[in-house]
Amino acid sequence: MKTAILGGATTKFGELWDVSPRDLVKQVVKQVLSDAGIGKAQIQAIFVGNMLSGTLGGQDHLGAFFAEELGLTVPAVKIEGACASGGLAVHAGVLAVSSNIYQTVLVVGVEKMTDHKPEEVAKALMGAGSDVEREAGATFPALYALLARAHMEKYGTTEDEMAYVAVKNHYHASLNSHAQFPYPVSLEQVLKSPVIASPLKLLDCSPITDGAAAVILSSLPAKQGSNPKINIIASAIATDTLGLAEREELALLKAARQASQKAYQMAGISPKDIDVAEVHDCFTIAEIIAMEDLGFFPSGKAANAIKMGKTKLGGHPVVNTSGGLKASGHPVGATGVKQIVEIHNQLKGIAGKKQVPGARIGLTHNVGGSGATAVIHILAKE
Amino acid sequence: MISPVKIWRNQKKIRLLLSLTGHILSFTKVHVPPAGFESQAPYAVAIVKLSNKKNYTAQLVEFEKKHLSVGQKVKTVLRRTREAGEEQVIPYGIKFKPID
Repeated sequence: MKTAILGGATTKFGELWDVSPRDLVKQVVKQVLSDAGIGKAQIQAIFVGNMLSGTLGGQDHLGAFFAEELGLTVPAVKIEGACASGGLAVHAGVLAVSSNIYQTVLVVGVEKMTDHKPEEVAKALMGAGSDVEREAGATFPALYALLARAHMEKYGTTEDEMAYVAVKNHYHASLNSHAQFPYPVSLEQVLKSPVIASPLKLLDCSPITDGAAAVILSSLPAKQGSNPKINIIASAIATDTLGLAEREELALLKAARQASQKAYQMAGISPKDIDVAEVHDCFTIAEIIAMEDLGFFPSGKAANAIKMGKTKLGGHPVVNTSGGLKASGHPVGATGVKQIVEIHNQLKGIAGKKQVPGARIGLTHNVGGSGATAVIHILAKE
Repeated sequence: MISPVKIWRNQKKIRLLLSLTGHILSFTKVHVPPAGFESQAPYAVAIVKLSNKKNYTAQLVEFEKKHLSVGQKVKTVLRRTREAGEEQVIPYGIKFKPID
């Protein structure tokens, strides 16, 4: 398969109190159309990735909502899959284009979270888990803390090793002007930050963020002069049980393993071919598990590899050049789309100070809930 | 979010989970609670392998620090789970209690 990415854009991520969801989408669509060099009349369908607009903002029906805002009457739908909503919207866009029903589509991911109290956001995010987990008061940090404890028990992973993920991702974010936290943090700062759900501390956790990201996907090749051309060469999804208790194994995410294997097969490549990856580090432990699920390191070996700097700029593969969810921010519905934009920019060679020299093939790993949904995309330079 | 009818429907399942024993597979102590759990924080949550072979996620109560460990034996008990909603129906559910 081959779907061309004609352009990509993100807004600044952060606490954007003076900007509404409408404004976020308007801004990002204007930028993405200009990046792609097309007019809005060429958009034949819109796929919106979003999780919480109904629960937090009281606004559902986002397809029509944003179509109206953009002055379009083309088919428009919202796709929801918790924190994987953005990746799923990209997948829907890829299916739409590869079916030849639409030639060129807009995928936009958006989330507005900081208008609401943290307890309310925590409760709303728990909608992604099971009813039993909600009844236990198991927040998202708590669910990933349960995965972390299982990983520590099985492989001897330490809190220090988890902290190194935050240190690396903050370093990358310090090179990204769109990041929510564009500055480095020290190992000591991470380890001394307050406990959220043991063993996870504040600086092990991704923040609550506002932001939007968009891509234009097309079955038509990018116009002449827009070299190099970047294509999505694999798009795969897998699903696991909603609740953690129903899983056979707690030190990995089976859905991420299945989706990545499918994606590698689709692209005809292996994990060692990946030069740069954006992975779903909603918590530091999640990046360690992702490295193992994606086949970048054997199970139980990723934590030390990250500590040794093997996935930092200068290493291979370089992981989360944007700063990841941890430091670039995690507007849940936008995250999966932002990951595509970052890899697109890396392969195009326009990633600025965080550019991975000579990157040819990149991967995105977007996870919903505590691993019930996983979406993997592989992008390549033509 | 939690209507009385939903509580009534779910509570019928609880009796099947009472007085089971099991052991902790993983645990955490939650310091930052969601809405409805503020008065209980910090509280412990565990995934337990029960004697009926199924795993279950619930809070651990009436425990000491030494009980927060993988492999700790527990039994299921009936407890209030969260603050009552606007209708004032008190939600009850399963929690775990350590046993020696």
